[in-house]
Amino acid sequence: MDVFFAILVTGLTNGALYALATIGLSLVWGSMGMLNMAHGAMLALGGYVAFTVAATLGLPIWLGILSAALVGAVFGAVLYLSVVRILLKSGGPGFETSVMIATVGISIALQNTILLVYGGQPLRQPFNVQGGIALAGGGVMPMLNVVIVVVSIVVMAVVGLVISRSRMGRAIRATAQNRDAALLMGVPVERTYLQVLALSGALAGVCGVLLSSVTQLSPTLGADPMLKAFIMCVVAGLGNLPGAVITAFGLALIEAGVQFGLGARWGFPVLLMLVIAILIWRPNGLFGRAQIRRM
Amino acid sequence: MSDPNPHPALMIEGLHAGYNGPDVLHGITLSVPKGQIVTVVGPNGHGKSTLLRAISGLVRVRQGRVMAAGEAIHDLKAHQIAARGIAHVPQGDLLFPEMTVYENLLMGAYCEADRETTVRRLEAVYALLPRLKQRHVQYASSLSGGERRMVGIGRGLMAGASVMMIDEPSLGLAPLVIEQIYEVIGQLRAEGRTILLVEENPARVADLSDVMHLLDDGRIVWSGAPAEMLDRGELLSTYLGG
Repeated sequence: MDVFFAILVTGLTNGALYALATIGLSLVWGSMGMLNMAHGAMLALGGYVAFTVAATLGLPIWLGILSAALVGAVFGAVLYLSVVRILLKSGGPGFETSVMIATVGISIALQNTILLVYGGQPLRQPFNVQGGIALAGGGVMPMLNVVIVVVSIVVMAVVGLVISRSRMGRAIRATAQNRDAALLMGVPVERTYLQVLALSGALAGVCGVLLSSVTQLSPTLGADPMLKAFIMCVVAGLGNLPGAVITAFGLALIEAGVQFGLGARWGFPVLLMLVIAILIWRPNGLFGRAQIRRM
Repeated sequence: MSDPNPHPALMIEGLHAGYNGPDVLHGITLSVPKGQIVTVVGPNGHGKSTLLRAISGLVRVRQGRVMAAGEAIHDLKAHQIAARGIAHVPQGDLLFPEMTVYENLLMGAYCEADRETTVRRLEAVYALLPRLKQRHVQYASSLSGGERRMVGIGRGLMAGASVMMIDEPSLGLAPLVIEQIYEVIGQLRAEGRTILLVEENPARVADLSDVMHLLDDGRIVWSGAPAEMLDRGELLSTYLGG
């Protein structure tokens, strides 16, 4: 029974973190055909911003989360204005490759900037949540994990509402589904791209804070979650946000189960084998419809 | 009703445009007066769609002018041109496949800030195209070709535009469905809308049009009343092989 609860708590917590990282990636991928390789470094950026606000300045942690979201959004906007916009103009069909390479470079630069400023030693995020919730059957879910899951779900619900109901969200989806048609409707497509990258940056910021509260702060803290988020993007199907969330929770629970059952080192290999099997079975991903050309 | 603006709804002068290579359009001049249907006919691949794409800003205008109600719009971006009241119903519909019919129509009114106006237009579109009301929760990708074309036209109407440009509304449809689509365009004519229509087959649009232009190899080679065009069989056989 204890093992069951341990799997549940780990799976849910990781699922929430993966899901948050995944929708940030999936949003950008789905709407612009851009694989943002700097997303992981942006997670780290969020974590360190919150650390600075909460530990260095001594302000409350919720202000740290807010600042991380804000700095993430600004970083996303700057990334669009300084790099992505130019690659989109000159890139044409080569955009998907060139933006991937460019963001790898940005990722390295951002990680090293963090290393220069904060040093390489791991830091502890002052994200202190005490206590836990008793679960039926004697298990306890630590409050920290509850907070992570709840905050993630709330953030994702807000993003989901924005995307599905608001005028901005409709414009984002329209641009993703047919750029020329969106232009003909009067959608300023460049502004939409800016909004998407800012939104994704804010998500990365929040995710980075939550993530660093269970692990530790290090410049490369986003690398592993980003790799898994990529996998989940692909498994869920290109740009499918609800699918990405379900996939993230599902795979995280399976990963946790394997880690507790077979040992920690088996988690990732089993995950990868599962992904290969799924993609053989459904090449467009679990929730992918026929693929749409984005650019 | 006297119109304070004496300019034609759309005026194109000496328009040159093309994609990456040489010009596709070599100096097109035509005007679309308010309340008229002006039709451009001609063989496929000779620049009819490019003309509409150049007007709506999807293709760069290299030379010449495009004036909407007297104001130059050829230097604007596509989304700004749409906001100026030029609605383009593109060839092959270009719907948003993973949006419902209702959402596709709403996107048509993207530039309209007033909610009530949007709702009024939606009711008008549903009245004109009752099939869309039945299908309003269906994804655009699940519709038949004729229904898709209707969503395209409905979405164009949602803009409340001063000029509507419709690119080959009959393309790829069965004869019976083509009739339905042209019935709808006939109703738009009866409402007094201003339309720039592109079509391959002149006989199909002669009854609807006020003026017809024959576009061949990026140039307008003949302009006149529809009846005249149909009377001149040699014109049609030369350019359209009909």
